[in-house]
Amino acid sequence: MDIGVPETEREIEIAPLEEPVPGPAPVEAPVGEPVPA
Amino acid sequence: MSELSTEPIRGWRLWHVRLHGDEHRLESFTMHHVSWPARSRFEASCPVHRGGAPVDGHECGIYAFRTRALAEELLRRYTGVRHCYGREYKELPPVRQGRPIALGSVSLWGRILVRERGFRAQYAYPYELFLIGGDDQIARELRGRYAVDVFCI
Repeated sequence: MDIGVPETEREIEIAPLEEPVPGPAPVEAPVGEPVPA
Repeated sequence: MSELSTEPIRGWRLWHVRLHGDEHRLESFTMHHVSWPARSRFEASCPVHRGGAPVDGHECGIYAFRTRALAEELLRRYTGVRHCYGREYKELPPVRQGRPIALGSVSLWGRILVRERGFRAQYAYPYELFLIGGDDQIARELRGRYAVDVFCI
């Protein structure tokens, strides 16, 4: 990926208050055995 | 001394969308078989500098362009579709059947080396994806796995 020449490079530091990553997938409740009425 | 900010940078990039077992996953566009994790940050690594990537004066790090247009330009170069009947091809080019590609924006944070056309970052996570050459089922799968918006185009 050509993002430009290295000579133009400068460094920045990003420290987000919260990382932009979604939380874990919800755990699906196991489907129980049907209970006879 | 580097500038400090709390707001992640938004870049643009491409991913291959490939099957890992029975799951479609985002894969690095230039590094073979490097899969992007779902619901956790992707961290740059380097065979030379290990966890220190990106390193000044090296080419390691997670790459992204500044603009969508630059990512689209790479896609045109990759597919070889750059001109159509003598005029420059402006649309998104078709990709090989069964080889979907995701074009999308990506959040970047940590240590970032900024150049005039893009970035080399320490951490990244997809922000929004546009699936090219895929179908609604793959888009739905990626949406559920990575928990980001995925649009079929």
